[in-house]
Amino acid sequence: MISVSGLTKKYGDKVAVDDVSFTVATGRVTGFLGPNGAGKSTTMRMVLGLDRPTAGSVTVNGRRYRDSPAPLREVGALLEAKALHPGRSARDHLRWLAASNRIPTSRVDEVLELVGLEAVAGTRVGKFSLGMGQRLGIAVALLGDPPVVVLDEPVNGLDPEGIRWVRTLARQLATEGRTVFISSHLMSEMALTADHLVVIGRGRILADCSMREFIAEHAASYVKVRSPQRGQVADLLRGAGADVTPVDDELHVQGLDAAAVGELVGDKGLYLHELTLVRSSLEDAFMTLTSASVEYSARARTDQAGALR
Amino acid sequence: MTVTAESRTVELDPRRNVPGTRPGFSSTLRAEWIKFWSVRSTMWSTVMLFVLGAGLTALICATNAEWLASSEADESPGSFITFGLTFAQITAIVLGTLTVTSEYGTGMIRATLAATPRRGAVLAAKALVLTGTLFVAGTVTAFAGYFAGNFFLDREGIGLALSDDGVLRSMFGSGLYMTGLGLLAAGVGILVRHTAAALSMVLALVFVAGNMAFLLPGTWGEWVAKLMPGNAGSPVAVPVPFNPEALTPWTGFAAFGAEVLVLLVIGWMVFQRRDA
Repeated sequence: MISVSGLTKKYGDKVAVDDVSFTVATGRVTGFLGPNGAGKSTTMRMVLGLDRPTAGSVTVNGRRYRDSPAPLREVGALLEAKALHPGRSARDHLRWLAASNRIPTSRVDEVLELVGLEAVAGTRVGKFSLGMGQRLGIAVALLGDPPVVVLDEPVNGLDPEGIRWVRTLARQLATEGRTVFISSHLMSEMALTADHLVVIGRGRILADCSMREFIAEHAASYVKVRSPQRGQVADLLRGAGADVTPVDDELHVQGLDAAAVGELVGDKGLYLHELTLVRSSLEDAFMTLTSASVEYSARARTDQAGALR
Repeated sequence: MTVTAESRTVELDPRRNVPGTRPGFSSTLRAEWIKFWSVRSTMWSTVMLFVLGAGLTALICATNAEWLASSEADESPGSFITFGLTFAQITAIVLGTLTVTSEYGTGMIRATLAATPRRGAVLAAKALVLTGTLFVAGTVTAFAGYFAGNFFLDREGIGLALSDDGVLRSMFGSGLYMTGLGLLAAGVGILVRHTAAALSMVLALVFVAGNMAFLLPGTWGEWVAKLMPGNAGSPVAVPVPFNPEALTPWTGFAAFGAEVLVLLVIGWMVFQRRDA
C-alpha cells in the first residue's frame, strides 16, 4: 500500500505537486491519470524517495521508501525507459540491480524470460527499440518480486500487442494481491486497466474514485429514442419520471435505462425506430475535467497573490 | 514468480521478500563493481591507461638513453622512468568522471538511487571501486614502464635500481596519485553532473592552471601554486621532482589527498540533498 499525504513539491515559484493526498490500495490496479506536466512523474519520484518533497510525506507499506532494507524487494518501479546506460547489456543491467538488493542472480533470467527479452539479453541496450526498453524497464520492476509495483507510463512506445501484454500483466499482478500503481495520460488505456482512478491536473487531485464511479459521474449517458410517435412517447416517458430532451427527430432520455424505455413504449403499443444507449467517451470526460483544473489553478494563483499582499 | 495465487482476495504480505537486515555495503559495492566493468569504456580506458603509461615510458627511455648516458645530458634518468604516466593520468581522470557523469547523462542515477536509497553508500562504493581499480592499474603500469624503460637505460649503463632513492616510492606513488585524480574527477562529476564540463574542468585544473599558478607573484602566489592539486599531488609519482619549487612528495600528497577529501565531502553533502 502507498499512502500519500499532503505531498507538495515546488520548484522555485512553480508548484508541481500541490498538497496531494491519496492511497493506493493492495489487490487492485490504481491508475494515475493526468495530462503531460500534471505532476504524475514528480509524485512517483517522491514515492521512490528520489525527489525530496517540499512538504508532506509518502509511505510505502507503512514506512518511507528510503527506510526499506531492500527496496527492490518491496517496491518495483519502471521509471523512464531511458534510465539505462546504452553501452550495458540487458542482463548486466539486471545483474547489478540484483546484486544491490541481494536478489539471486537466477531471478535475472526469470524476469528476462517473463518480458520476452531472453534472446537479446546480451545485447547492449543502446540498440533496443523503445518497446524493448520498456520491456526491460518492466523486467527491472519485477526483479525483486515486489508486492508493490509502480509503473510510470508503461505503454509508451509499445505496439498494440505490447500494450495488451502490459494491461494483462497489470491485472494479473493485482489479482496476485499486489499493489499496482500505473500512470498514464491516456484515459482510454486506464479505462481498460484500472480498478481505481486518481486524476491529477496542474498538481492537484481532481478525482479519487473507483473506475465505475468515475464513469457514472463523468461520462454522461442517455438513451437515444426515435419513434414516429415522438410526442406520445415523450409524454409517456416524462410521465414515468424520465428527463426527456427532444433533439432533431430524436429524444434523449435520462433517468430510465433502455430496457425500461422499451417496455414502457411496448406496453402502450407504440412504435420504436431506434433505442440506443449512448455514452460520451471517457476521453471527453477526462478532457473536461482537466481543462477545468486550468481555470481553477489560475484562480488559486490570484488568491495567493492577494494573500501575499 | 513465487506467488501463484489467483484469488482476488489474496493477502500478500508486503514484506514477505524483505530480509530482516539490510543487504549491507558489500552488496552496494558489488553492484557498483558490476556496473563499472559492464560498460566497454572502462576496459578501453584501462587499456589506454596501461598502453600510454608503460608504452610512452619505454619509448622515451629507448630514444633518450644514449643522450642521457652522454656527457651533454642535463637531466636525470629518474625524470624519464615515469614519463608516460603523465598521459595515463588523463585516462584516470576520464574514468573517474565517467563513473559519475554517465549516470546523470543517461538518467540511470534514478535506477541506482531507487535500488540503494542510502546515497552515502552509493558514493562510497563508487569511490572504492575507483580506488581499487586505479591504484592497481596505476601501480602495475608504473612497474611495467619502469621495467621496459630501464631495459634501455641499463644498456647504456645508467639503469635505476628499485632500491634507488625514490624509485619504488614513485611506483606506488603513481598508483596513489592516479587514484587521487580519479576521485577528484568523480567529485567534480558529482557537482557538475555533465561529462564534458567535468572533464574539461579537471584537465584544466590539473594540467593547465597548475603550471600557470607558478606565475603568480609573491609568497601568496607561491603557496597557491604549490597547493594546486596537480602540483601538490604529482611529486609522489616521480623519483626526481620536475619542479624544484614543488612540495616534497609525501607532504604534497597529503595536501592533495586533503583537497580531494574536501571535494568529496562537499559532493556528498550536495548529493544527499539533491533531487535525483
